[in-house]
Amino acid sequence: MVVGDVTTAVDVLVLGAGPGGYVAAIRAAQLGRHVTLVDSGLPGGTCLHQGCIPLKALLSASERYHQTRPEELTAMGIHVEAVAFDWASMQAWKQGVVDRLAEGVRRLIAGNHIEYVYGTGWFINAQEVRVEGEYGSLRFKFEHCIIATGADAAPFPGFPFDGKHVLTPEKALMLSELPETLSFVGDDYIALELATLFARLGVKVKLLSPGDQLMSGVDPSALRLVQAGLRKLGIQASTGVALDSIAERPVVISRSVCPRTSELHLDAVGLEVSANGGIKVNSMQQSSVSHIFAIGDCTGARALASIAMKQAKVAAEVLSGQRVQFAPLVLPLVVHTTPELATVGYTAEEASKAGYTIVTGRFPLAANGRALTLRNDNGVALLVANADDGTLLGATLVGPRAGDLIEQAVLAIEMGATLTDLSEILYAHPGLSETLLEAADGALGRAVHMLARG
Amino acid sequence: MQEFKLPDLGEGMQEAEVVEWLVKAGDTLKLDQTMLKVETDKAVVEIPSPVAGRVAEIRVQDGQVAKVGDVLIVFESTTSANGGSSTPTQSLTSGSTTMQSASMPSPISVSQTPATKQRVLAAPAVRKLAFELGVDLEKVTPSLPNGRVSIEDVRSYIEHEKDSSLPSAPSPVLVEEKETEQPVSQASTTLIRKIEHPVTPVQDERQPLKGLRKRIAEHMERSWRTIPHATAFDEVDGGALAELREALKPTAEKRGVRLTYIPLLIKLLIPLLNEFPIFNASLDEENREIIYHRSYHVGVATASPEGLLVPVLRNADHLTLMEIASNLENLIEGAKKRTLALSELSGSTFTLNNVGSFGGSTGTPIINHPEVAILAVGRLQDKAVVQQGTVIVRPMMPLALSFDHRLIDGAMAGAFLARFKELVENPQQLILDMV
Repeated sequence: MVVGDVTTAVDVLVLGAGPGGYVAAIRAAQLGRHVTLVDSGLPGGTCLHQGCIPLKALLSASERYHQTRPEELTAMGIHVEAVAFDWASMQAWKQGVVDRLAEGVRRLIAGNHIEYVYGTGWFINAQEVRVEGEYGSLRFKFEHCIIATGADAAPFPGFPFDGKHVLTPEKALMLSELPETLSFVGDDYIALELATLFARLGVKVKLLSPGDQLMSGVDPSALRLVQAGLRKLGIQASTGVALDSIAERPVVISRSVCPRTSELHLDAVGLEVSANGGIKVNSMQQSSVSHIFAIGDCTGARALASIAMKQAKVAAEVLSGQRVQFAPLVLPLVVHTTPELATVGYTAEEASKAGYTIVTGRFPLAANGRALTLRNDNGVALLVANADDGTLLGATLVGPRAGDLIEQAVLAIEMGATLTDLSEILYAHPGLSETLLEAADGALGRAVHMLARG
Repeated sequence: MQEFKLPDLGEGMQEAEVVEWLVKAGDTLKLDQTMLKVETDKAVVEIPSPVAGRVAEIRVQDGQVAKVGDVLIVFESTTSANGGSSTPTQSLTSGSTTMQSASMPSPISVSQTPATKQRVLAAPAVRKLAFELGVDLEKVTPSLPNGRVSIEDVRSYIEHEKDSSLPSAPSPVLVEEKETEQPVSQASTTLIRKIEHPVTPVQDERQPLKGLRKRIAEHMERSWRTIPHATAFDEVDGGALAELREALKPTAEKRGVRLTYIPLLIKLLIPLLNEFPIFNASLDEENREIIYHRSYHVGVATASPEGLLVPVLRNADHLTLMEIASNLENLIEGAKKRTLALSELSGSTFTLNNVGSFGGSTGTPIINHPEVAILAVGRLQDKAVVQQGTVIVRPMMPLALSFDHRLIDGAMAGAFLARFKELVENPQQLILDMV
């Protein structure tokens, strides 16, 4: 015991202030709990400071730049002399977005009377956590604890991260200068988005995918459109790459992530963890010690903020006495490439494999008025439904705003909506979401803006 | 086939709860045989059979709430009340209640399992409720033909479970669980595996809040939430009152009335409410106006086997002590038997609560919304009291006056209590204002 060690009794202690941790803290505070939130940095976590938000900001800046090239604009009667960008200003703008969001989160935390403690915490026993911070060492005794420490890029054998030749995706976003060439190893949305970002800015990009597809779990016909888009950007994409053959440098590795739990001294509590260090939880986010909860990446769940934020609310509600669980049926996935891709639920192949008799609907963006007026008609809407009762099982959208439009399909699947439900409602015209209507009508054999095949 | 729908039971009642069916499917009923008890906001009403015939189906089960017009029961009727044949459409009238029957639609087949084998069709909100209540959605009978489970289906499943007396709802407290799983950890966008409900080793018993208890709860909640309560306490020497009661009791008894303290206290309250009109008032919350009531309807809190009821002694200021006593006796009797009409259970302007009769010495009463005050009187008990420097024994009666602090201040409440004490200690003052 440290000399002069004083134990502070707290109600709910949340370790980690990423999108999981801060949401859990706020939800618990809403339910009348007194919350202490611990993180070594500013609230927002990887998602806000190093991950999703910086990546999306830079993607949209690079997209704007890319769309102002003469070959894009002259067709619409716009003539530009010269368009240029500088990476440093782009980075500064990105940082402005991050700072603004971080300030918003900070205010939410303060407004909910949540105690924010800077430091790194680990377990002393099943009731106590020590937090080592700037102002020394603190000892907290908690009623309930929520672990939301996130995940790190998993070390990759043969490719030690050195911040120069072998980079993590986070590091790639913080490069002070744009390299001439950059290679990416991975078959997930991060690798695809990073490749797109740097290629748009003129970097010679190679995308090396170890899998037999650029991304797994995506309809191959939709993926082909994305692949064509990458090729148009000058990206050299190859699949089935043997990892030990990769000699390209600098290279960004976007492979698996590893739950950030090794420093937590979980053995002091006897928490059950899985092989990769993920904290085992039930559907109510409870760990094997019932007053300790874990949410998001540190459970080994798929590293997505959408999951962490929902699990956060579940954990906060359960420890406040409610009986709820994390049980969404489907998970929407979005890839901000050109064209954008979004998918949810089963692909046709997966649905058939799962034993469904299916019916599918397909509508190309080229036949959608809104897409033409946007001068962005490269895309498709695909629907998969259960032939027995017409309920929607899956959807894949390729094209502008696919990531926003997909949520209609998410709602439809969760509600158990049928193709007829999708067909009966009104769609603003002209609109991109009309592609969902036409695809549903197509599956029902009555699409108006498409000639029936055969 | 003939359907019987919940008739309009009057008094603006829109719904009623089925308390108890006295018949079951297959029974043969006589015309006007009591078949059902329903409970409206205040009263339990027995409903006679409108026909003679066999019961085909009971549609609304015990404990469920039906709206006016909902089909309660279906008969394979033989003779109807008007002696007609069993033509599908006919209007039946019985007493003051209007009943209608219409041709029965072919029953929805619910026994078939829905076509989807992988999933029970239910919206996220329904699945959330099912988990909360510990209901396995696969066991719930969907009410819609396409096999979609609704929130109502989940609730009625729970009701049925209750009826078969199996405590099924899990406790909402945290449960220790050994089994662990991670729902969305697989690297694919496919439908997430069905999540098993966690085991709940400790099960508390849960009972739905219903019937009178539910209405008491709602009423109390409303009062407590909207009215800023304050309570003033005092004690009054009940010696004179006890003497007066003893003096009047034999005469009252001869006339067949048992004289308790309550009628006396009511009689003493009337001039007091007259002197302090703000205590016989209510607040019109919508229009922000104070309504001073010109009539004196005194509510008397009464315990019934199912819970608290407040029968109302209407126009108490026009009644003699004997009338108050005998009316009150009838009201309290009716409350205990649950036979009072709605008019006898509503419209009070001030409430008197005899805590003593419930066994306690005193308590803080909750105001009977929308009134502004309630007086609780405790049991008369001999206590040591200091009078002119000496300790003497006096029969003391505790008083607790809860008042709506929006309209009444502590000083006013104190004055009200002081005047009440004066009257209780000198009940002969009543004669001064007697007509």
